[in-house]
Amino acid sequence: MADDKTSAPASLRVYRYRAGAETVEAVLGTLDPEVPQEDLVAHADEALERDTFMCYAVSQADDFVADELCFVPQGDHCDILSIHTDGWQRHHGDHRRSLVEILNDLAAAVACGKLRVLDAGEVERAAADGLTLLERDIRCTADLQAAREAVDDILRETGADDVTRHRTVLCISEAITNMLLHGGGHGAMTVRRLGDRLRFVVADRGPGLNFLNWIEPPAEGGQASMGYGYKIILDHLDSVALHTGSGGTTLVLDRLTS
Amino acid sequence: MLRTSIAQGPAPTVYLAGEMDLDCADTLREAVNAAALGAETVTLDFGGVEFIDSSGTGIFVRLALDLKSQGTPVVARNLSPAVRGVFDMLRVRELVGDEVFPD
Repeated sequence: MADDKTSAPASLRVYRYRAGAETVEAVLGTLDPEVPQEDLVAHADEALERDTFMCYAVSQADDFVADELCFVPQGDHCDILSIHTDGWQRHHGDHRRSLVEILNDLAAAVACGKLRVLDAGEVERAAADGLTLLERDIRCTADLQAAREAVDDILRETGADDVTRHRTVLCISEAITNMLLHGGGHGAMTVRRLGDRLRFVVADRGPGLNFLNWIEPPAEGGQASMGYGYKIILDHLDSVALHTGSGGTTLVLDRLTS
Repeated sequence: MLRTSIAQGPAPTVYLAGEMDLDCADTLREAVNAAALGAETVTLDFGGVEFIDSSGTGIFVRLALDLKSQGTPVVARNLSPAVRGVFDMLRVRELVGDEVFPD
């Protein structure tokens, strides 16, 4: 993720603490050097021990910087969500307010298990699971429609009803659009069959998710996507997993078929 | 791909058909701007739209707000359940105003 504290009005980082470890690792973004590791470890241990979601809000002296740290126990590890805002809240009515709403939605999705943030090894395994049904390069906007049609054909073969097909195709369209707008403009979509589900893997080698792009166009004449695509994806699929970093972004989208 | 046709007049209608996604911006804008020349209002008929996503929705919202600010209100009619569902999800009515959806 390209966000850093000096340039971005807000960022979401995700860290992971494995029970018994002495440090945490960054899964999304980079570790914030201003947050002591021992504090994160202590809170993560407590969340795991109590098996309870814990959230801390940290207000600075000027009362405009508000950071949140959320600890989400996940069995043998604890995911730590760090939302940092960089003082922009003083601009009342600033359109960037919506960015924090987007980040909070994402954090809530992680906290309730709808969105899993994967590290590099996990996403590699998730993207290789099951049987390949379709592989398609995505290079331009014209590929969007072809990808949707291909996905719809596969869904028809599984006997999916009209609503399920429409919602799934919509989510795939959102994921590929995000890749075209913010993921370097090209990548690939793979459809795989696992036991009880279809898995759609949408991967690019772009610069990684930069949440700022969701509210401001990446280039003059470009289009901001407002982050709605992710809301649609989270609302309509059975399982969503994300890996993003400087080497690209991968979305693993599952639709149950039985 | 989005296809358009125009029924001209003082209150023209632009008939939309096909798919509205990231790719539809130029087609939609050209058709609506052509129809809006000298018009009091412009009606967009979504009856033939088989698919719309958040990008297609965003392009429509931007266009509707632009025309409204230029004094040519836009009316949207004949929304399929699929289009209506996406518009509801993205709170389009709040963004462009109730008057855009008289049905």
